[in-house]
Amino acid sequence: MTALIQLKNISKHFVTDEVETHAVNQINLSITQGEYLALSGPSGCGKSTLLSLLGLLDSPSEGTYHLTGLDASSLNRNERAKIRNEKVGFVFQSFNLISDLTVAENVMLPLTYQKGLSKQTMMDKVNDVLQQVEMSHRTRHFPSQLSGGQQQRVAVARALVNDPAFILADEPTGNLDSKNAEAVMQLLNSLHQKGSTIVMVTHDPRSAECASRQVEMLDGQIIRDSLITQTAAPISAAI
Amino acid sequence: MSWLLDIKYAFRLLIKAPKFTALTLVVLIGGLSLSLFTFSFLYAIVYKPLPLPEGDTVYRVFGNHNGHRHANVAYEILQAMQQEDVFSEYGIWQDTSVRLSINDAGKTIPASFVQPNMFSFSRTEPIMGRTINQEDLRTDAEKVVVLSHTVWQNDFNQDPNIVGKNIRINETVTTVIGVMPKNYNFPIVSKLWLPLPQQLQNIQPSSKQQYPIYARLNHNISLKQAEQQLSDAANSIYQLTYKQYDKEEGELSIELASFPIAQTDRDGSIVFTFFNLIALSILILACINVGNLLLARAIERQKEIAIRAALGAPQKRLTLQLMWEGIIITLLGGVLSVLLVGALLSTTDSIIKSALPNNIPFWWNWELDAPTLLMAIVFTLLTIFLASFIPAWRSANQDINATLRDGTRGAQSKKAGKLSRMLVTFQIFLISTLLLMGSVSAFIAYFLLNVDFGVNYDRTYLASFNLQKQEYPTEQQQRNFIQGLLTELEQSPQITNTFSYFFIGQSTLKIQTEKDINTLPKKIKTFSIIGKGDFYRAELLQGRHLSISDNENAQRVVLVSQSMVERYWPDEMVLGKTIDVMLNQQEQTFTIVGVVANLADGSSFYSDKISEDEMHLSGLQFSSSYPRIIYKYHDNEQEAEEYFYQSLFKFNRNLEPNRLEPASYSSDMMKNIAVIVAWITFGSAGFALLLALTGIYGLTANSVVQRTHEIGVRRAVGATDRNIIQLFLKHGSKQLMIGMGAGMMVFSVIAIAFQSFTENMIPPLLYVALITVVVTLLSVIVMLAIYLPTRKAVKLEPSAALRYE
Repeated sequence: MTALIQLKNISKHFVTDEVETHAVNQINLSITQGEYLALSGPSGCGKSTLLSLLGLLDSPSEGTYHLTGLDASSLNRNERAKIRNEKVGFVFQSFNLISDLTVAENVMLPLTYQKGLSKQTMMDKVNDVLQQVEMSHRTRHFPSQLSGGQQQRVAVARALVNDPAFILADEPTGNLDSKNAEAVMQLLNSLHQKGSTIVMVTHDPRSAECASRQVEMLDGQIIRDSLITQTAAPISAAI
Repeated sequence: MSWLLDIKYAFRLLIKAPKFTALTLVVLIGGLSLSLFTFSFLYAIVYKPLPLPEGDTVYRVFGNHNGHRHANVAYEILQAMQQEDVFSEYGIWQDTSVRLSINDAGKTIPASFVQPNMFSFSRTEPIMGRTINQEDLRTDAEKVVVLSHTVWQNDFNQDPNIVGKNIRINETVTTVIGVMPKNYNFPIVSKLWLPLPQQLQNIQPSSKQQYPIYARLNHNISLKQAEQQLSDAANSIYQLTYKQYDKEEGELSIELASFPIAQTDRDGSIVFTFFNLIALSILILACINVGNLLLARAIERQKEIAIRAALGAPQKRLTLQLMWEGIIITLLGGVLSVLLVGALLSTTDSIIKSALPNNIPFWWNWELDAPTLLMAIVFTLLTIFLASFIPAWRSANQDINATLRDGTRGAQSKKAGKLSRMLVTFQIFLISTLLLMGSVSAFIAYFLLNVDFGVNYDRTYLASFNLQKQEYPTEQQQRNFIQGLLTELEQSPQITNTFSYFFIGQSTLKIQTEKDINTLPKKIKTFSIIGKGDFYRAELLQGRHLSISDNENAQRVVLVSQSMVERYWPDEMVLGKTIDVMLNQQEQTFTIVGVVANLADGSSFYSDKISEDEMHLSGLQFSSSYPRIIYKYHDNEQEAEEYFYQSLFKFNRNLEPNRLEPASYSSDMMKNIAVIVAWITFGSAGFALLLALTGIYGLTANSVVQRTHEIGVRRAVGATDRNIIQLFLKHGSKQLMIGMGAGMMVFSVIAIAFQSFTENMIPPLLYVALITVVVTLLSVIVMLAIYLPTRKAVKLEPSAALRYE
């Protein structure tokens, strides 16, 4: 199967106060269409940095990154923005909804950066994804009027609205209670069942058990990469 | 004791950030000093009570005739004051200029003819000798004078034996009877006081003169009541006298004004309010800037505040804790501003008094006084509220949970950016209004500096006289005096030209033209002149000058203004034409013998020269008791002035000119004031613009920084740099439009006032041009202020922007 994502010798170095940190060091990774990959490891191991590189939120210091066969490491800022807009959906630990925008406007945000979409088309897509995450009754609310779980469901809807090639989730249950965490994990599971490619960062091994593939990192390097044959039980069971 | 710890902590924070401390201090000192100086400077001119005991009960009394100020109705006013028991004391005086001769030198000094009660009225005793008494008013009394401390000090070297000595005033031996204390120049600028001449003491019903009146209001009557009572009484008298003594028909009312207000022609309160509003706006700009800097600091400390709140600190304590930094800076700024303003006032006082030693009202003293200190406290408290309390209160009202969970970005509520946006909008509103007002003021100042009165002031002097009926009972005697003085002056090698003129009044032209007579102005300003005046004003354009042959026995002749010719006889030869004029309630026929240039003598400086018509009659046919003499000197002003007095005293040793000054004196005074006002306005506008620029940039940059995380989110979902910049510019455009829209609306109202004040002198196109320039300038500035920090923010990688706190 053709790899959706292909990383070769990818490194990311940060220099702060004249100290160089190797957040990601010489990583090789290939992700195929439809995979549900859990990226785990202790704090500071480089998971989030790797996720940022995968989502083109940051550019690597070294190495090459091929996304659907395209060399993403040589793209300029605008080309990277276009790919983020069309092919990537992000779900963050802290939801990252814009407080000044309503639920519908937050979800619509990626579509507003695409050309040629009518307002009606955008609204249809928004309503569709909000229904998927069972938030269609809160379209006119502002994020501050929602619970954490509801905010994360809106964030998932925003990640889905542009019909992305893959979803990147950075500790999506980190700020949620167990009930809401389960609901979000189920939502990701169901997306995976429908064929979505998901890369999820988690430091919690129990959340990682939901994935079809587990990659474990330490000190900026992959120390374990294993396939899980059976989809895990719901996270509530693990918790 | 805990608050002491808070203060200590605030000091530590300020010392740790010296650049921040210095910047906020400079901004605050600028705003506070400007406001305080404006207040104190204008308060001393307009509202400060006279520096006399019970100075707040002292008023000047004016007559308004048909709503016009300065009515020449002294008799009616004095009669009304006698009838109505509204004043505990009152009196009249007359300002004059006298020639003080010491050895062979002489100098002109402002003086006053006064009644004996003036000194007791002002509650001031002489430091030596006595003041003027009733005996001194007698015509046969010895000539006496009371010296001011300034004259005693500067001209008589503080001679301890000056009382009883004879000095020469107007070449008349006069005995010094007393010396007044330092800084006493009541009623306005007097440096010498002489007894009021006998003829001024009994003002007749026929008098058409105006005399300044001082009065102390009774404690049991209000200002309004007094004005009403006096107006009713004076008007009743006037309705009897105007018919009998050939005065102008109309209603008479009385107005009381304090000396300072009266000195500003009773418009002082408008000027005071206008400039203080501008200064207060600038202070508010400074407060917004400092408030924004403190808010940015508070946001940096939001996590710390959340931790303190989580540990149980009450909101009041947190607010106060956040305020201490602002309070310390503001108090320090307040103290430094007071010191700076004190030094500025003292310098201003010295500069103005040395530049205009004889023309400053005695109450114009600029110093740090109680009202200034009180206002400093008010401004400081206002600054603490605006620049310190509001940001602290906002910051202490955060969502603790969100801040502790997500850092400062988690606490960014929907309201967070609103305050910044509102402040930017408000700054745009203020600065657009100030810029537009400043531009129009600059235009007016430029106009005043270059206004053409139709008069050539070059090396000319003006002397005005009041020829008393007792001394000059017939018109022939008056003419003889004027002609004689002119002839004598022309003998001097230092004097090149002379002439005399007098404003007779408004005459009515009886004329039939093809035009509708009702649309033409009926009143024409009429002067009488002796000599050729076109070296000074009203240059001859056609025909001939009035000459010595145009005397009482000759036919009545007239020079008409160019505007009059264009208005009434646009395509006709006017020379030789006869016109009928109602003058002094008599219809008289005049032959036009010349056409002269127009004069700027409309109702204000802004009136067009063609707005009024003038006629010039022969002074040998229409003489006056109040002539003005104009002479032009060759190159030595002092010698010419000396020669003037020598010539005058050859005719009459007892006659003092009411005024003797460069003819340009009033014009120069007006221009000097225009220059001072223009510089103050430019300085203030420059400072305001700097504050607004830094403020708008600071607020916008802060707002962009606060939205860095949002930028990260937008970029994560695919927004390009261009998308983000466009979005921020779009938001900025809204603020720009709202702020400038509000500014335009306020300016429209002000523009109407400007138009009325300047009699539509400002062309409407100028407003359009100014608005275009200001809108363009501000748009560029605001857009740059948004673009630069936004461009900086989008340069961050999205991953970094998402982590930004």
